[in-house]
Amino acid sequence: MTGRRIELTRSRRLRALLKQRALQPALMLFFLFFFVVALLSGLVGTPAGSHNFGMIFVWIVWWALLIIFLVPFLGRAWCAVCPLPAPGEWLQRRAIVRRTPGKPRSLGWRWPRRLRNIWLQNFGFLGVALFSTIILTRPYVTAWALLGMMFLAVLLSVFFRNRVFCRYVCPVGGFIGLYALTSSFELRVKNRQVCKDHAVKECVVGNECGYGCPWMVFPGNLERNAYCGLCTECFKTCSKDNVALYVRPFGADLLVRKGRRLDEAFKALIMLACAIIYNAVLLGPRGWVKDWANMETLPHWAAYGAGFLTANLLVMPGLFMLTTFAARAASRTRAPLKRLFVDYAYSLVPMGLAGWIAFCFSFVFVNGSYAISVLSDPFGWGWNLFGTRSVPWTPVLLDLALALQVGTLLAGMAFSIVVAYRIVRQHAETNAQAWRGTLPLAGFLTGVTLVFLRLYVG
Amino acid sequence: MEKSERIAIVVLILILVGLPAAILGYQFVLRPRLADVRTIDILAAAPETGGFQPDSIRVAAGETVRLRFSVPDVAHGIAIGPGLNLDLGQVDPGEVREVEVTFDQPGRYVYYCNTWCSPSHWRMRGVIEVYDPADPDALVIGESSLDPVLESLAAREVDIDAPHEAQAVPARRPSVGQGAEVVARLGDGLPDGLADAAWRRAHSPAEAWASLVEVGLSEAEAWDAVAHLWLGGVDAARLQDAATLYAKNCAACHGENGDGQGPGADALEAQGMGQHDDIDMVGGPAAFAEPYTMLGGAGDVYYAKLRRGGMGTGMPSFGVIFTPEETWMLVDYLWTFVFEVE
Repeated sequence: MTGRRIELTRSRRLRALLKQRALQPALMLFFLFFFVVALLSGLVGTPAGSHNFGMIFVWIVWWALLIIFLVPFLGRAWCAVCPLPAPGEWLQRRAIVRRTPGKPRSLGWRWPRRLRNIWLQNFGFLGVALFSTIILTRPYVTAWALLGMMFLAVLLSVFFRNRVFCRYVCPVGGFIGLYALTSSFELRVKNRQVCKDHAVKECVVGNECGYGCPWMVFPGNLERNAYCGLCTECFKTCSKDNVALYVRPFGADLLVRKGRRLDEAFKALIMLACAIIYNAVLLGPRGWVKDWANMETLPHWAAYGAGFLTANLLVMPGLFMLTTFAARAASRTRAPLKRLFVDYAYSLVPMGLAGWIAFCFSFVFVNGSYAISVLSDPFGWGWNLFGTRSVPWTPVLLDLALALQVGTLLAGMAFSIVVAYRIVRQHAETNAQAWRGTLPLAGFLTGVTLVFLRLYVG
Repeated sequence: MEKSERIAIVVLILILVGLPAAILGYQFVLRPRLADVRTIDILAAAPETGGFQPDSIRVAAGETVRLRFSVPDVAHGIAIGPGLNLDLGQVDPGEVREVEVTFDQPGRYVYYCNTWCSPSHWRMRGVIEVYDPADPDALVIGESSLDPVLESLAAREVDIDAPHEAQAVPARRPSVGQGAEVVARLGDGLPDGLADAAWRRAHSPAEAWASLVEVGLSEAEAWDAVAHLWLGGVDAARLQDAATLYAKNCAACHGENGDGQGPGADALEAQGMGQHDDIDMVGGPAAFAEPYTMLGGAGDVYYAKLRRGGMGTGMPSFGVIFTPEETWMLVDYLWTFVFEVE
């Protein structure tokens, strides 16, 4: 987790590319194209999810790419190209590509201090997750949810400068930021002293080459991936050429003590609980749970919702609090319980990500083949754009999928236990105390892994 | 303005305005105009969520149309009848299946689901009204409304909804093969009428059995002879075709084995529908494998029930779907539930 980093931006071509103002808008426009197709397919296409572009490409292709590849290997790269905030940002800038003079336009309201965290994103994610079975099975609901998010992003960009939506509101951005801590990819400054000595913080206020950081981050202090949207504006504005992209060991940010907060800790717990619940509800043999989650009747859904929220906000945090209490006692650490609860929660991040990756494997291999036919007939209207409309649904490599799921979960557990030890060691006085303190956390992680394995293997 | 900015704005407008306009314009304006024949899009959903939409269409006789069925929810089996031999097979959710068809004569046809899809599966039908282009406003009448068998039953004042219990039932399943030997032995001693196919269609096996016992056959021999008389002349290919029709259209309620325990039976009961045993009681779908009721009914009564449907029982009218010949095929097949065909 700590070790050698390789600077990718030593490549002149890559540096030149990153300094291009057209780079990010071009990528956003590219994905906006597919976003519009996804919206249309949801609004006017077939209600059958398996033959609807939006459903297949949002909830299978994009989601799996995001969880399995983008987040672990490229951190918040998706945030750099996400089309949702694009219209709002372009309105603020009154431009798509060029650097317009002055600051981005908005009503200039200040985002409330109390909301300068990811609590909104936590509750937003819970809200979306609560309706997820409905969203995942009804194309028009998916379309309206995406449209609603884009509308909210535009609305917030009218009142607040910069990417307030991405930083504090987007329910997807919240967990991407948390899991980006595990990523093997980072944007950092090459030499912090250069930033300190540079009186004009061009990366914050912007200059003629680019805008100040839309994510309201000072790259000179950046130690974690959580809130850097990789928009590359700092590459353009830094006259000292002091910004770089690095490949690094996985999970390096999890050991950074600075910036650990209760809202992020809860995000780790919520994501882990949701991964278990999703696996149990969407993939498990209990059809009645799925019916309840799918709002078969309002009372059933209300009961499901109550159970869902209880599991996320009480059961999982409660169990982890007990684990933290045991770890604190075992390691004879004097740090406050709340501090340890927050710090130790970061050990759950690799496990949570592994749970989500395993979840993705379960549907990618089973339902991925739908993407081939949907490409030719994105709206279910009988089109055959590429001659692949009739390619049948073909689950593939199911044995491999199970092996990958088990392997990923075990790797995630091992990774989490190593992180847990290192975090415990940050508070413990000796290695022996750290090992003892790790035991309860390792037990918790093993228990979670066994729950996952039971869901997959039976 | 920089060139890159202008390009970006053009691309943005194309994506936000041009792309939706192109997609919707092609699908709803250009595509119908480019089609070589008129295309009618029909959404095939379970009856609980709307059934066929639209559920009736009008087509001119002689006009070739393309019927494009798309399925949004669960698998449906889509077929069009009567007499067109158009079975599009099972269409899975999200699939689009189309067929080009020309209706030569004015009349009424039905597109229907023949795969159990929901508790109200049997309601899933749509009507194709084929009109005479020379007289588009003329009343279109379906073939099923003029059926000589039903007219004959009415003339004989046969109540096709009346119970028809057999006075006696066989101790074992009567054998068509053994019955052949019995009938051959009888030769000219076969009671009047039994050799006549028309007589057999108008009388129940139990009536035939009684007359055979009267001429001196044992009860078992008489049942074997009846089995042979009813099914001995029906070739295997006809029964096989009928079996397919039964599996697709009847088994959902009446059961694959004719026991009246198909998956639709419970659904009908839940909807308060089923066979009327008497005024106060509502039973399930008819059990064709039950000799007591099956052998007491005449073929033309079963034919009539099939074509007209069971009033208030949930049994749909198949007269609008099957030709008379297909209906007789089905009636023949029903006997296989009580007679052993080697």
